[in-house]
Amino acid sequence: MPMKFKLFINLLVLVCGVFILQSTFAQGKHTISGYIASSSNGEALSSAKIYVPSLNKGAITNNYGFYSLTLPSGIYEVEFRFTGLNTIKKKVDLTRENVTLNVELGLKDGEKVYEEVVVSGKKGDNVNSAKLGQMELNIDQIKRLPAFMGEVDVIKTIQLLPGVSSVSEGGQGFYVRGGGPDQNLVLLDEGVVYNASHLFGFFSVFNSDAVRSVNLIKGGMPANYGGRLSSVLEVNMNEGNSKRFSVKGGLGVISSRLTLEGPLKKDRGSFIVSGRRTYIDVLAKAFISDTSPFAGSGYYFYDMNAKLNYKLGEKDRIFLSGYYGKDVFTFADREGGFSADMPWGNGIAALRWNHVFNAKIFMNVTSTFSDYKFKFGSKQDEFKIEFLSGIKDYGTKIDFSYYPNDKHRVKWGANYIYHVFTPSSVSAAQDTVVFNTGNAQQLFSHEEAIYLMDEFDLNDRLRINAGLRYTAFQHVGPFTRYVKGDISKPDTAIEYGKGDLIKFYHGLEPRLSFRYLTGEHSSIKGGYAYNYQFVHLTSLSAVSLPTDIWYPTTDIAKPQKGFQASLGYFQNFFSDKYEASVELYYKGMNNIVEFKEGALPGDNVNDNTDNLMVFGKGWAYGVELYFKKAVGKFTGWVGYTWAKTERKFPDLNNGEVFPAKYDRRHDLNLAATYMVNDHWTLSSTFIYATGNTLTLPTSWYVQDQNLLFNYGARNSTRMAPYHRLDFSATWYDKAYKTKTDPATGKEIEVKKRLRNNIAISVYNVYNRANPFFLYVDNDGDFLNGDFKLTVKQVSLFPIIPSITWNFEF
Amino acid sequence: MEFRILSVAFLALILLFSSCTKEVKIDIPGYNEQLVVDGSIREGEPPIILLSKSQNIYAPTDISAYLGSFVGDAVVTVSDGTNTVALSKVCTDDLPPGTEAYAEALFGMSIQELQQLPSPLCVYTTFDPSMFGQVGKTYTLTIIYDGKTYTSITSIMAPVSLDYLKWKPEANSSSIGYLYSFMTDNPSTSDNFMWEMKKVGDPMFTKPFNPYFNDAFFNGLAFEFTIYNPMSFNDSSYAENERGFYKEGDTIVMRLSRMGKKEYNFFEKKINQVFSSGSPFATPVNVPSNIEGGALGVWVGYSTYLDTVICQP
Repeated sequence: MPMKFKLFINLLVLVCGVFILQSTFAQGKHTISGYIASSSNGEALSSAKIYVPSLNKGAITNNYGFYSLTLPSGIYEVEFRFTGLNTIKKKVDLTRENVTLNVELGLKDGEKVYEEVVVSGKKGDNVNSAKLGQMELNIDQIKRLPAFMGEVDVIKTIQLLPGVSSVSEGGQGFYVRGGGPDQNLVLLDEGVVYNASHLFGFFSVFNSDAVRSVNLIKGGMPANYGGRLSSVLEVNMNEGNSKRFSVKGGLGVISSRLTLEGPLKKDRGSFIVSGRRTYIDVLAKAFISDTSPFAGSGYYFYDMNAKLNYKLGEKDRIFLSGYYGKDVFTFADREGGFSADMPWGNGIAALRWNHVFNAKIFMNVTSTFSDYKFKFGSKQDEFKIEFLSGIKDYGTKIDFSYYPNDKHRVKWGANYIYHVFTPSSVSAAQDTVVFNTGNAQQLFSHEEAIYLMDEFDLNDRLRINAGLRYTAFQHVGPFTRYVKGDISKPDTAIEYGKGDLIKFYHGLEPRLSFRYLTGEHSSIKGGYAYNYQFVHLTSLSAVSLPTDIWYPTTDIAKPQKGFQASLGYFQNFFSDKYEASVELYYKGMNNIVEFKEGALPGDNVNDNTDNLMVFGKGWAYGVELYFKKAVGKFTGWVGYTWAKTERKFPDLNNGEVFPAKYDRRHDLNLAATYMVNDHWTLSSTFIYATGNTLTLPTSWYVQDQNLLFNYGARNSTRMAPYHRLDFSATWYDKAYKTKTDPATGKEIEVKKRLRNNIAISVYNVYNRANPFFLYVDNDGDFLNGDFKLTVKQVSLFPIIPSITWNFEF
Repeated sequence: MEFRILSVAFLALILLFSSCTKEVKIDIPGYNEQLVVDGSIREGEPPIILLSKSQNIYAPTDISAYLGSFVGDAVVTVSDGTNTVALSKVCTDDLPPGTEAYAEALFGMSIQELQQLPSPLCVYTTFDPSMFGQVGKTYTLTIIYDGKTYTSITSIMAPVSLDYLKWKPEANSSSIGYLYSFMTDNPSTSDNFMWEMKKVGDPMFTKPFNPYFNDAFFNGLAFEFTIYNPMSFNDSSYAENERGFYKEGDTIVMRLSRMGKKEYNFFEKKINQVFSSGSPFATPVNVPSNIEGGALGVWVGYSTYLDTVICQP
């Protein structure tokens, strides 16, 4: 056992022991704990506040709605708050013993709280929390923003936040503070999502009807997260209505969705099932007749989310979440005798168990399974070829939250993942002859981590979140390592048996962040995080595709290592209605991966994919400005980022520094929503971004009568800036109906069960032809004197209006 | 290959969605003029070297600019390790008798067009039979141009033969069909090929869309494969539904040329660039030259295997 690991384990045991002892012998203090949920549907409320005005002390609920607050013995009036819902005050007697108190927050019939429209449930958090570079979006806010083709999209919305940029027009891949798209840990109910997009990236896999909240951590990653260098995108699914059965859905231009939810047993358990399918294939059929040479071509995707939760008792809850989604693209050219089909998709399952040991210790155990597969099969006359790539993860994690007193919030836990990678498996045949396409490459590895962190208040102004994460990775057999010589055949092949240890990596990841209150409504925050990443995404194309290959760390492909340091000033105005921040960051990255110049997918026949890779380093720095109006009829934000992102690879671009393809100097985002009245909500977003970089040919030449191009320095050309305005107007039917209160005989307004809204969106309002890619086109003939070379710009989406009808009952 | 198909499929989809394509003038920094070498030596034939210069992407593309890109004032020598021969210039205004067809094929122009050019085009070659290509020999090319020296080495490897070449009529027709060949690959060698076809009597061979292949997929295997007719796509005597087929009664010659790995690498990447250029799904790839000294292009030695078949059942 490595010395660093032993020391860390000893430290962990010692700290846990101290905490448990402290928990046992803390005299003169008692703890109030429990869950906070919504009274309308029973959903747990995360980030709800528990506040004791007389002591000016408080706590917030965790992701499962659990809270714990230790106070000196006494009788207190305790407030339970959640923005947008009624605050409940309860008298709590903590003179003799700990108290468990589960609370439901909601609105009474007849109440409307329009002024408290929620942008973030964490009112005041901007200044108070020690979280740095974290942003939470409520799904209701996401739903109010304009949606591309009517599809409400979580990932497109986070791309509107400062420091986050999209890969390309409509793309799902996202870059956070200069990191690559593989450096984002995307979690759906704690299950890893390896490909978060449908339709080559134009839509996300997250069905908005099944999503409760979205949390993005782009800097200062706490120690309970790891495995990626740049960010964590946590998507939490709805738990399902535990009060009553309900249905919601929507009919859109290209897809429809339906969600069913209801109690398994009232107030004890609930379920939710949500499905979505596009009908582009059905629409396309109208344009492709059965006799057309392209009959049989089409595309569709579908996905399904399901979740069950059940309270086994006061101390135990279980959650079972699942996602399955698939894209299917088929292409047929009868005349050419060619056909291809290409399915890809994710399957994710997560089983979670919450256990409350006592008022101060909360545990969550999660087992996850994640499966991403991409397949491509084609047939040209008698020649068939099939390409398969994928990744499977089997994971388990355990997390403890310990609330020893009102000053400390301690977490510790462990994480284990067994990875099975199939970076590429190719089979080809002509009639009965099966070609030798090499063995299907499969790679097996174990990834483990343990961590300990404490968020504590040193004094009323200074809060520190300190954590340490130890992470380890083993690449194990069976495995064939091809050792290449100068000639095309492998010189040698080293065979490893099942379970043989091929390479072991491990290291410590220190994490530190602080918040210093400079006033009642302002603070300075800073942070440092060091991360290891053991999976790499490699791409042969200039844009993100499902063909991008996930590849593990091996003896050749070293783990990515990175750090990020950030510092920010945060200020709230007018009773926290307005929030503003300035954040500076610097990020360094080592062992990042690219394919060798000129590598082709077929090159890995009888070879390891990592033999085609090259390794380098990168860095990114920038400043982010953010201004948000959090509450009121008019809400929204403005984000601006100035950034620079560069790469240096000894084997690329002659070893010289080059800009990353998503290096953007300026990025401006605006999102605004205005509730005109009970029926109409208007919303708009605007984006301006410096154009992406790309590599274009600087010169041309002719060889054997073929026109060839010679490309210049990597990413040395920059496309025109990208800017776009979207707009939406949503009409809601009347939310309330009048009813006579049997108790008072007075007329009151109660919420209607059947609700409708119609969302009209316009994408790219002023029809800007934004560059998607550029290419050099050649036309004509030298001898005819009409030969011409031109640089052409392809734009994807013009102005696109869409309409969606949503319903709920 | 599957990636190329994918690229095409994605491109088709993108173009389906794309709202517009327009010409833009954008700054593309980094141009520098480079010598381009297009040189080959074939078993039993003299070395032929065509020199030109790369052109800025925004440079004029009229005929005079094109002709002006060819280089006629270089000093070129070829050595086989024992002898070194200085190549002489042969220009289109003074072609030796019997070389017209070679010139037409080399420049892609008819002899009339070549003779009407405002300035002649020149290649570097030799009529010294001692420097005609021989199997097993290694040839060093040296070019001195504009004060710089460029060198490259290639070898002529032993040719690889096919087991048979035969014609089979299509089921529905007795007059057209594909050619079929059987190959037994040597498992202990790395084999890289170029294939071409011609009708007996044609002066030059015709290359198919992609004439280059290697044995990475079929190393050590024995198998039959189909050979389509590349001449039929530029021959108006073939009806639309006859394209790709050979006609009964034709006598067809196949030439299978073997080459080295570095040279093959040039052609493989070249074809990849020709097919995928402009696609956003392909990584921009420069074609890797085997010329030392900073020139573009290739110096390649070919062995020759010829097989002739009469198209009859």
